[in-house]
Amino acid sequence: MTAMAGTPSGVAPVTTGGGATFSQPTSLSGVYDALAAGARVVAGGTDLIVGTRQGKLKMPDHVVAVDRVAEMRGIRPTADGGLWLGALTPHEDIATNALIRERWTALADGSAIVGSHATRNVGTLGGNLMNASPAAETVGPLVCFGAVAVLASRGGERRVPVADLATGPGRTSAAAGEVLIAVELPALAAGTSSCYARLEYRRQMEIAVVGATAVFAMKGGAIAGAHVAITALSATIRRIAEAEGILNGSDGSPAVAERAAQAVAAASRPIDDVRAPADYRRAMAAVIARRVITGAVERAHGAGPSIPASDALHGAR
Amino acid sequence: MAVVIRADGKEKVTGTGRYAADLTLTGLLHARFKFAEIGHARIRRLDTSKAKALAGVFAVITQADVPDVRYGLFVKDRTLFAKDVVRWEGEVVAAVAALTPEIARRAVELIEVDYEPLPVVTDLEAALEAGVQLVHEGWADYAIDERVLRDGNQASLSSLVKGDADAAMARAAVVVKSRYVADGSSGVPIEPRAIVAEWHGDKVQIWSSTQVPFAARTLVAETLKLPENAIRVSVPFMGGGFGAKCEGHFEPQTAALARAAKRPVKLVFSRREEFLAPDHRREGMIIELETGADKDGTVVARRGRLLTENGAYSNDAPLIAQMALHFLAGPYKVPNINITAQCVYTNTQPSGSIRAPGAPTAAWALEQHLDELSAALGMDPVAFRRKNLLADGDEGPTRQIMDSTHALATLDKAAELIGYGRPLPEGEAIGIACGWWPSFPMSSGIYLKLNADGSPTIITGAQECGTGAVMTLPILAGEVLGLPPEAFSIIYQDTETGPWDGGAGGSQTLFNNGRATIAAAEEIKSQLLKMAEDLLEASRADLELVDGKVQVKGSPSRFVTIASLASTATGDQQLLASGVGVVPPTPASDASGCIGRLGVESFAAPTFGTHAVHVKVDRETGVVRILGVAAVQDSGTIVNQTGAMGQVTGGVVMGIGQALSEGIQVASDARVRNPYLLDYKLQTAADVPPIKVGFIGIAAPDAGPKGSKGLGEPPCIPTPGAIANAIALATGARVRQLPATPHRVWSAVQQETKR
Repeated sequence: MTAMAGTPSGVAPVTTGGGATFSQPTSLSGVYDALAAGARVVAGGTDLIVGTRQGKLKMPDHVVAVDRVAEMRGIRPTADGGLWLGALTPHEDIATNALIRERWTALADGSAIVGSHATRNVGTLGGNLMNASPAAETVGPLVCFGAVAVLASRGGERRVPVADLATGPGRTSAAAGEVLIAVELPALAAGTSSCYARLEYRRQMEIAVVGATAVFAMKGGAIAGAHVAITALSATIRRIAEAEGILNGSDGSPAVAERAAQAVAAASRPIDDVRAPADYRRAMAAVIARRVITGAVERAHGAGPSIPASDALHGAR
Repeated sequence: MAVVIRADGKEKVTGTGRYAADLTLTGLLHARFKFAEIGHARIRRLDTSKAKALAGVFAVITQADVPDVRYGLFVKDRTLFAKDVVRWEGEVVAAVAALTPEIARRAVELIEVDYEPLPVVTDLEAALEAGVQLVHEGWADYAIDERVLRDGNQASLSSLVKGDADAAMARAAVVVKSRYVADGSSGVPIEPRAIVAEWHGDKVQIWSSTQVPFAARTLVAETLKLPENAIRVSVPFMGGGFGAKCEGHFEPQTAALARAAKRPVKLVFSRREEFLAPDHRREGMIIELETGADKDGTVVARRGRLLTENGAYSNDAPLIAQMALHFLAGPYKVPNINITAQCVYTNTQPSGSIRAPGAPTAAWALEQHLDELSAALGMDPVAFRRKNLLADGDEGPTRQIMDSTHALATLDKAAELIGYGRPLPEGEAIGIACGWWPSFPMSSGIYLKLNADGSPTIITGAQECGTGAVMTLPILAGEVLGLPPEAFSIIYQDTETGPWDGGAGGSQTLFNNGRATIAAAEEIKSQLLKMAEDLLEASRADLELVDGKVQVKGSPSRFVTIASLASTATGDQQLLASGVGVVPPTPASDASGCIGRLGVESFAAPTFGTHAVHVKVDRETGVVRILGVAAVQDSGTIVNQTGAMGQVTGGVVMGIGQALSEGIQVASDARVRNPYLLDYKLQTAADVPPIKVGFIGIAAPDAGPKGSKGLGEPPCIPTPGAIANAIALATGARVRQLPATPHRVWSAVQQETKR
């Protein structure tokens, strides 16, 4: 399979050896055509290409590259004070966006540590979501911010909470014919603070072994609307209601953070794999959860770890 | 000291350099191997007919298509392709040549193999138990080097014996026992290996990313039954080797495939294949040490047992096991020693030399053991080492009388550079470790010629694996001839043009080929002076070579340029020389009490190093951050400061990787769990701490050019031990497994907390 020059919308895809096809439309209409023909979407290619080269994934027979689709690109404010993020937004653009760093800080924390410099400049937010990895760095923050995935198809648009998008490792609730075009971040409650961090073994080219997100508002010294999510600790990235219950109404003191963190660990369903044994993952769930809760509390008071929080929480140089 | 831009630097940095995988030839086919993909099994049926029938496939070959030759360095236990039994997952069962890589991949999938699974052997201790599955059931029938002591799954047995260790241990005031277990690791050259083979009649041209083109040629000759002059092995630019590309590898299979296909063939490994198949990786070890000392800290005895992982077939692993004994003695005064080393067959990838084979792992264990001993003695680790390190006139482990031994100076300088003894915050500590490594004197040669315009050309058989050793030769020749290093061209890494060379291994290139270069340059100088004597009407004693000229000493206006001499060299005059240099002697020793003596008995021009590492440990997660390193090497005279700094920096980074993150994880079915760069974790550029490098820089006798000693390998030796000691000092918990992954550090801290 060879990457060909972009095919205009509506033009038949290029047929490559062995009956495989590759197309690179410049509009959503062309994407829908390719999807109707059974194509699989590729954006930055940092999961699909690397995976197939390693033999972990099989290259699909039909591929549609969406990287030239203008409707999927850009970052813009929404009318209600939220943010619309095109699915093609590279991680680096999120990590360096001043508004996101200031308000949706945990998303900047996550985006700033995806893979390597190269991954962050080529890999996309949409790809990170649709790859549906339980270790995806951006998903915990998006879930906790109540972000909504915008799925588009020939029949129109459908909005799905990011929390409901992944249904298992590598699986999503998107239907055949649907493509993720954007993610919408709703407006934040006043005084919202957030933090995402992961356990990492090295400083670059890393993946979350354990990750946790904390998002809440501090109002009059008390936590309100706490959202806490775990990453790489269960089949999908999900919120932990028990921890949120402990935090809500509390002052976020170290003792409270520790109790909430223990609730996170108890609710985790870690696996044993090449990156870590389950018992270690569970123990680290408590450590990382406590650190992000504390990090978010500190940030609410104008201090706390700089972005990305992971770096600071692992001991800066 | 000379600072030069290396001759191959511009192409490598700008991406214009051509590597083996970049080569293309008319009619080129693409090779792909069928690997066993199972740890241990008998082949019941092997059917390549469907693969052969696939359109675009030109050849499919198996062991039935090549000469029935068993080969191996000490034990001839292997064949080019699997014969009857596969003994590790990366064993090559068949090879395909096809029009495209995709067709080759499809053809490999069509090769049918029926396996009868056999029990796998992965545990070094279990492998030696009675009645266990043998990795080689027919081992007794293999041809073998008679010095190798084999028995079942024991690939070799060696010992290091001096004095009476039992008696001395019984009298020792303090005795400490330790046990350490090290995972194997990989060399991980950034360039996965690539080989291109093309036949011209009965002769074959091979381009290979090998560190040892002459050894590769010998392997092709032995296995395909060809004379060496029918085989040419050339190496394009090389993207690293780190030992993984030592010995012949896959050149015979690729050549056999090209012959069968009647077309040139190119083999390029994927990253996964580069992890699973190169049959050269750092061996896992189990190390048990016991050391006795007097109350004042003087070491009196060491006993020990070492098990090393041979893997499924035997390369140089038995020699590495024997050499590791010297690294378990270490650069210390130990009057009584009794340590045995058993190299053990397992159903895993064959092990073999990776940068300073055996040494960093053995030193990691010994240096931790010595810190445990100094703690038991109530001594500071630096003070303990200062008391016991070897110095000139001391006796080494095989009673070699030490000379040019500056181990103590490396210790003092490393302690000074890191600021040893200063107060540190909670969770931080500085660990110290020492190491040593021999130089390897051997035959080496170059040709040197001056072209008609006076431009000099070095023609060497030496191999540049990235260290810059070959690129340093012009500095040496230029100093003799009064020419800048940049003036030289270098023809290298080609068996057909240069003299025989041992290749890029053993830190030997500059050590040996540098001497050859100086000898050849002196010969050219002599030829130039002879020509200039008549022209300048001066005796050669009054002439000197400066700035491209032969001039009369004290009268620089009386000169003739080298270019004009070169242009007028006619008749019986040719500005052409060959150089070999005098191979320095290996120091006398007495190893009469030892068994399994496979080669290294004393350390010629020994090199020493001390590394001090400042770490910060996150007790809650076990994550270790390296805050700073001081690395001091006694490498004799430094010939190329830029290159030497690069070697030490790279060695330290490789050592950090081995210490913290690089380990091959083998599952219970003997298959590797992490043959990918995401889960075999190299240190990245972002992880590299500030590294202060120091050299002692004292010229050594009986050594390399200008009194230099080998430097390519030694800088990776002390780092893992220094990091391990720092972790123990920072946490109070000792991690007895290598690498010290966050999980292992955390577990050790948990256990220590419970105690």
